[in-house]
Amino acid sequence: MEISAAPSGTARSRTRRWMTGARRTQLFAYALVLPVVALIIGLVAYPFFFALWVAFTDRVVGGGGNWIGLDNFRYLAKTAIFTAAIRNTIIIVLATDILKFAIGLSLALLVTQRIPARGFFRSFLMLPWAMPAFVAFLTWRVLYQPIGGGLNLILTETGLYPHVIDWLGQRSTAMPSVIAASVWRGFPFWFISILAALQSIPKDLYEAARVDGANAWERFKMVTFPGIRHVVLITTLLSSIWTANAFEHVWLLTQGGPSDATMVFPVLAYFGMQTQRIGEAAAVSVAMLPIMAILVIIVTSAMQRDDD
Amino acid sequence: MDRKNTSPASLGRISRRGLLSSAAASGALIAGGGLLTRAGAQDFSGSKLTYWGGLIFADAANQLLVDTITAWGAANGVETEVVMINQNETVQKVSAAVEAGTMPDALDVGLDLLLLMSKQGVFVTLDDLYEKVGAAQGGWYEAVALATDTTSIAGGRTGLPFGVSGNLLLRRTDLLEEAGLVAPPETWDELVEQAALVTKSPVSGLGLALSNVGDGNVQCSIMQSFGGRIADDAGKKVTIKSEETRAYLAWLKDAWDKGVFPPGNATWDGAGDNQAYLSGQAAFIANTGSVGIAAQKDDPELFEVTGFSSLPAGPIGTISPITPQTRAIPATSGNQAAAMALLEFLSQPEFLSQYYSLAIYGPVLNDQKAFPAFDGSDAIHSGLLDLVENGTAPGWPDVFNTAFADAYSNFIVPKMAQRVVIDGWDAERAMNEAQEQAQAIYDKY
Repeated sequence: MEISAAPSGTARSRTRRWMTGARRTQLFAYALVLPVVALIIGLVAYPFFFALWVAFTDRVVGGGGNWIGLDNFRYLAKTAIFTAAIRNTIIIVLATDILKFAIGLSLALLVTQRIPARGFFRSFLMLPWAMPAFVAFLTWRVLYQPIGGGLNLILTETGLYPHVIDWLGQRSTAMPSVIAASVWRGFPFWFISILAALQSIPKDLYEAARVDGANAWERFKMVTFPGIRHVVLITTLLSSIWTANAFEHVWLLTQGGPSDATMVFPVLAYFGMQTQRIGEAAAVSVAMLPIMAILVIIVTSAMQRDDD
Repeated sequence: MDRKNTSPASLGRISRRGLLSSAAASGALIAGGGLLTRAGAQDFSGSKLTYWGGLIFADAANQLLVDTITAWGAANGVETEVVMINQNETVQKVSAAVEAGTMPDALDVGLDLLLLMSKQGVFVTLDDLYEKVGAAQGGWYEAVALATDTTSIAGGRTGLPFGVSGNLLLRRTDLLEEAGLVAPPETWDELVEQAALVTKSPVSGLGLALSNVGDGNVQCSIMQSFGGRIADDAGKKVTIKSEETRAYLAWLKDAWDKGVFPPGNATWDGAGDNQAYLSGQAAFIANTGSVGIAAQKDDPELFEVTGFSSLPAGPIGTISPITPQTRAIPATSGNQAAAMALLEFLSQPEFLSQYYSLAIYGPVLNDQKAFPAFDGSDAIHSGLLDLVENGTAPGWPDVFNTAFADAYSNFIVPKMAQRVVIDGWDAERAMNEAQEQAQAIYDKY
């Protein structure tokens, strides 16, 4: 029997009917987004679901891992250090967000005024964010040194406080010290975001408010804040996620200590990795998800309300 | 045992002369072509071999290792790539490489990691090579042989020992002599007494780490010298909670309350004690000798007034664990025969004699005691030889099994110590937590 390589007339016409112009456009569109979808699946979805699966196994480095259900989470829940990590992560995120917002907003409002060398200040204030985190936090570590550290030198030399303070070595000062360094490094992002939002508020609104007799606080409340609210929400979301997932600020300053005074999720996960227990380390990371999810839901709902 | 460094000649000029001797040594090895190819009867020409070396504080020793492997590769027609890895990062690098399937053909690995990885079948067994090298050089030191035996977990020996490290007690003899103290402290109580006598801002007497880093685990040795144990003789049931551990915690709290610890020692990183000693802020530290090397190079005056001695004893004696360093071949290596030949070559006395004179390791084979590095002229090497001969096996009196290595890596004892001195917990509560956490770890194995 002879087999023809060419499609028969009926098959050809069927193909032609199926491949209409609209369908071709659709397929072309799919083809265009396919690389991005593949990238997202490969770089985001796969690692995410893999980490999720590993969190429910007893996997160690070099081992296959067996499904153990919630055992890793039960084990973590029993440890005091896990509770400390939850508490500390929430404290750091809340405290740094509030302080970064306050500083970022204040400075943004300041440099929108007509002050000398305004351009210079805008660039200068971005420096902490431009500096590599590694350098920034090691510098802070040096500043916090009990002996020879900059902060103690200032306090003792000026007579403000005659004794040496072990900033990172005692429970009462370790967390505030980590928060201060994190705020210093992170406020420029808030500053630049709020500044951009401030500049997009039409000047007419301020004029109208003035004409209506609004004082400075009322102008801020009725014009400025609604104008930057959307940006503040997005900045809060991003900053919270970054801070909660940040590793270097705690690791370089205190490594989670003293005791568990500054232990946070990423550092705890790292300790799990150090002992080869990938399952437990993944469980620590996964345990953060509900907290982050709640935050994302709150912020996106607020933004949705604004849009509506 | 006390060692004043009266003759630092062999290591004292590492910065100037060490590199030259490293170059000369590798040159001599290259010139001795017979030696370079002696270990490799097989033909590996055209193959490639990647080696991960453990970076140590002695640059000349690092360079000698790189040069020697490169020369061996050139002589055997093997294209070698030597990557020196900071030993503080070995765990992370190796873990990532195991998961990604990108392990080298051979690498330097510490005992903890060797044990944990051998249990997962990451390394091939090297029994024949181990026997051959041992037989040729007077046999292995017993402590080294016992410590590195992975037969029960991996079906054979997976690590070929090449050096031993461990803690020596370094002390500022100038400060101590001013206070009328000439002899090194024999016990932990004496150490605290001496430290208290020389504590005067900015100097804190007792520069022992209490943080969650490897140095912090010296607290485990102290606890053991008080009779405390992590687990029972079977290495299964955790026994941290005991009267002996309570005595250790009482000693620690007393020392803490006397203010002899430097501020910040509960958050020190791996270099915290080094920096404290080198900057003149600590009169005593427990260190592998890297601080001595750094002082020789950068602060000869400090080195001159540094005394080296064994760790002090507790009520049951001195616990001074040795930490053997080994070389291993991953099972994923595509060039295992060449890797095996290289490891045999790196165990030759011609290379190791040079290497020990530059590095900060004690010997692993009996014949190595005759190497010039251990002739008694150098305080650090004498201390390391003493450690090998008189130190305790890793973990001893505990069983150094995988669970112990895991508990050790989790810093169970330093964390318990922090609970007492930082958080103000009483000994009972701190021991309870440590007991529970350690048992959870032991239950996994």
